[in-house]
Amino acid sequence: MNRRWLGLLVAQVVFKGVVRVGVALLLAAAAVAAAPVFVVAIGGFAAAWYGGWQPRRLMVAAAWCGPMVLAWLAASGHDTAAAPFHAWLAFWKLARAGAIPRAAATIAPAAIPLGLVVAGLAWSYRIRSLGSGAGGLSPAAAVAFDHRQWRHQARAARARIAAPGSAPLTMRDDLVVAGAVIRTVGHRAGRLAVIGYQRLRSHQVVIGTTGTGKTTLLLRLWAGFMATGLRRHADGLGQPPLLVVLDCKGGSAARRVADRVRRVLRESGARSTAVWPDEASLSLWTLPPRQLTTTLVDLIEHGTGGAAYYTDVMEALIGLAVEAPCGPPLSTHDLLARLEPGWLSMAYASTGTPADHAMISTAAGHLADVALRYRTLFRRLGDGLDGPGGFEDADAWYCILEGTDQISVAESQARALVDLLASFAVRGPVKREILLCVDEFSAVSRRLPIWQLYERARALGLAVQVSAQSWQGLGASEDERRRIAASAEGGIWLLRTPEPEPIVTFAGSRRVVDTARRLVRFPFWAHAGSSRLTDRPVVDAALIRALDVGQAAYIYRAGVTYIQVKRMVGSPAAVGAPPVPPSPAVVAVPQPRALPDVSSVLDAAFGSERVT
Amino acid sequence: MARRKRAAAITGDTWCDKRVATADIHADGLVFTAEMYGVQLDQLAVALGVPERRAAALAAKWTSSGFADAARLGPGSRWVWLTRAGLARCGLPYTPVAPALSRLAHLRAVTAVRLALTATPQFAGAQAFWRSERRLRARFGRKIGLREHIPDGEVHWPDAASAGLTGTDVAWAGECWAIEAELTPKTLVKTVTVMREVLARTGDYGCPSADVTVPGRAPRHARVIYLCSSAAWPVVTRARDSIGGLAGRVEIRMLPPDAIYAPHSPPAALRGAR
Repeated sequence: MNRRWLGLLVAQVVFKGVVRVGVALLLAAAAVAAAPVFVVAIGGFAAAWYGGWQPRRLMVAAAWCGPMVLAWLAASGHDTAAAPFHAWLAFWKLARAGAIPRAAATIAPAAIPLGLVVAGLAWSYRIRSLGSGAGGLSPAAAVAFDHRQWRHQARAARARIAAPGSAPLTMRDDLVVAGAVIRTVGHRAGRLAVIGYQRLRSHQVVIGTTGTGKTTLLLRLWAGFMATGLRRHADGLGQPPLLVVLDCKGGSAARRVADRVRRVLRESGARSTAVWPDEASLSLWTLPPRQLTTTLVDLIEHGTGGAAYYTDVMEALIGLAVEAPCGPPLSTHDLLARLEPGWLSMAYASTGTPADHAMISTAAGHLADVALRYRTLFRRLGDGLDGPGGFEDADAWYCILEGTDQISVAESQARALVDLLASFAVRGPVKREILLCVDEFSAVSRRLPIWQLYERARALGLAVQVSAQSWQGLGASEDERRRIAASAEGGIWLLRTPEPEPIVTFAGSRRVVDTARRLVRFPFWAHAGSSRLTDRPVVDAALIRALDVGQAAYIYRAGVTYIQVKRMVGSPAAVGAPPVPPSPAVVAVPQPRALPDVSSVLDAAFGSERVT
Repeated sequence: MARRKRAAAITGDTWCDKRVATADIHADGLVFTAEMYGVQLDQLAVALGVPERRAAALAAKWTSSGFADAARLGPGSRWVWLTRAGLARCGLPYTPVAPALSRLAHLRAVTAVRLALTATPQFAGAQAFWRSERRLRARFGRKIGLREHIPDGEVHWPDAASAGLTGTDVAWAGECWAIEAELTPKTLVKTVTVMREVLARTGDYGCPSADVTVPGRAPRHARVIYLCSSAAWPVVTRARDSIGGLAGRVEIRMLPPDAIYAPHSPPAALRGAR
C-alpha cells in the first residue's frame, strides 16, 4: 500500500515537473521566435521597474508608435496584412547573415509597439498581483516591492525637477506647479504636480515638522499664487493679489525667511514685499470705530466669570474713548490721552447723552487701571501697529510675530493684524484677492479663532492657509482642529509628521482586493487561497512618517498625490552680509556724492520754489 | 509749389532748404505728438516754434494723409494724435489710441512741463533729452511689470555735457531725472510710496523684476522733479518732509501757468509770438 502510494506520489511529481519544463520550453521557444518583441518587452518592463512608472505610460508610448506603424504599413505595399510576417522572415534572414542592425531596423516598426504593449501588460499584472497580495515569492514580497517602487518613483521625481526649467512655476489655465509627482492614489497621474489657482484661493492646511521642507513648499505656493494672480489681473480676469504671511515663530530665522520670500516673490512679479514690523508699519487706527473698540478690547487678555465685570467696564470705557464726538483716536498716544482723568467728561460735556454721562461717572474709578493696562500693552506691542501704512501699500506683507519668546504679544499682534486684514478685505480702497498664511499657527492659536475667519473668509475674498508642525498645533481642542481641517476645501498638505492618523482619515478609504494565500512551508505557497474586497486608507500613514525632506502628500477629495516639491531659488540676496567695520587705519570712507544745485534750470523753467 | 518757390526767392533761402525745413517740422511734430499721446494745437505750435495757425495747417495735412486724427475733445484748442499709420511713419511701436478724456488735463500739464524745460538754455546747450511716459510704458510690452509706477517723463542729461563736448557745461551732467506732474492731490501715503519707489529704483523700465530695485546699486533717478498745482502742493511737500534723507533728491516747483487745462489759455510763449 505504502509502495503504491509512494509510486503515485513520485509519478505526480514527475508529471508536474514534465509539465512545467514543457511550458517553460514552449515559452522559451516563443520568446526566441518573437525575439524582437521580447527584447523590447524586457526593456520596457525594466525601464518601468527602474523608473517606477505606471503601466499606462508604456501603453501611451505604444500608442504614440501608431503613426510609425501606419507609415511602415503604407510603405510595405499592397499586402499590408502579411507585412509583419514578411518583416519577421526578413529579420531572421538578415540576422542569420550577420546584419544585425539592418535586421533590427526591419522589424522595429512592428516589434516596438508590440513589445511596449506586452511590457505594459506584464507590468500591470505584476503591480496588481503584488498589490492584491496574490503575487511574490515570500510573504513580505508585496511590502518590499512597494518600498522599492517608492524609492524608484522618488528618485525619478527628483531627477525630473533637477534640470533647470523642467518645472515652471505656473502653467496655462492658471495652474501652479508644486513639483514632480512621485505617486498618486485617486488622483490623475502626471509628471508634474499642478494645482489650480482657484484651489489656492481656498482654505488650505499644511502640517509638517521642522526641517521637512514646509517653508520651501509654502514659498512655492506663495510664489505661484502671486505670479498667477498678477497675470490674471494683467489679463483683466481678477483683482490684484495680496499675500499676507504671519510668521509666528519670530527671531532671526524669520528674518532670513522674510528675505528669501522677498527675493522669490520679486522673481514672481511682486513689486514690493513689506516686512512688518521691521521695515513697515500698519495703522490700527484705520479700523472703523466699532471694530476698533472690539479689537482693542480683544487685544487684552481678560477673564470670565467674576472677572467679566471688569471686561465690561473696560469695554465701556474704550468704547467711549473711541467713539467720542470728536472722532476716533488717530494714534496710541491719542487713545492713552483720552484715558486720562477728565478727558471723557470734557469730550461728552456738550453732546453726550445722559447714558454716556452715567457710564463715565460709573466707570471713572477704573479709568486709571484701564489706562495702565493699555499703556503696558502698547509698550509691549511696539510701534508696528501705530502707522502709517496699510495693506494696500504692498503686494505682499511678511509679518513677523515673536511667538517663541513673547507668546502673549504675538497673540495680540496676530489678533490685531487679522482684524485689520478682515477690515481691509471688506472696506479697503481697492479690492484684492487675498491669501492669508499663518505659519506656525500653534503659537497664536489660543487667542486667534482662525476657524471663525475660515467660515466667513470666503465671502470676503480671503483665503486662509494655516501651517502647523502637528495635528495638535492646529487648535486647542479636537473640535477646533477638526473644524479647521474639514473646512480646508483647497486641500491638506501633509509633510513628515509622527502622528498623521487624524489627518489621514480626511482622505477616507478605497476598496481594494485583498488575497490570502496558504503558506505550505516557507517559502512555498499553496495554489489555494481567497480574495475579498476590503477598505484600505487612501493615505498610507506609514509612508507619511517616512517622507523625506521636500516630499509632501497633497490630500484633496478622497485622493492623494505624493509630490517632490521643487525648491524656489530667488535672485541674490537683497541684503548682503553685514559690512565689516573698517579698521582704525582705514580712514577713507567713501561718502555719497553731494548732488549739484539744479535751481538754475528749474528756476528758469518753472520759477523758484514756493516758500510755504 | 510755385508759391513756395516765390517765397524762397524773397527770403533768400533756396527752395531745397525750405523743403528740408518743412520736412523737419513735419517729422518733429509727428514724433512730438506721438511721444505725448496727443497734444493741443497751441502746445504743438510752441513745440515747433510756429504760430498756432501754421500748427493747425500741419495737423490738417497729417489728418488728410491719414497720419493723425484731430478733434476738439474739450476746452481750448483742438487735440491732435497719431493714427497707426502715423506711428508707423515715425517708427514708434506704440498702440494707436485717442487721448482719454479723463487724462486730457494731465497730458496737457506734462506737455507744458516738457515745453518749459526744453525752452531753457541749459537743456538745449547740454543736449538733454526727454523720454516720455509713453516710451517708458512701451518698454514693458505686455509684461506684469506694468504695475510699476511710471513717471510722467524722464530727462536725461548726457555725460558729454560736463566734458566740454557740448555747448553748455552743467554740473548735473550724467543725471537722469524723473518728472512728475501733480494736478490733483493724492493721499500722503500714496505720494510717499511713489516718491520712495521712484527714488529707490535702480533698473530701467521694462527690466527684469529682480533688477527693479537692487540695494547697493546706483539709483536710476538722481532726483525727482515734482511740478504741482496749488492743490497738490501741500501733500507733495509733506511727503517730501516725511521721507527723511531722500528729501534732498526731491525738487518741487509749481506747474507752469499754461499747464492748466482751461478754455482759451494760449501759452505765454505763443502770446509773445503773436
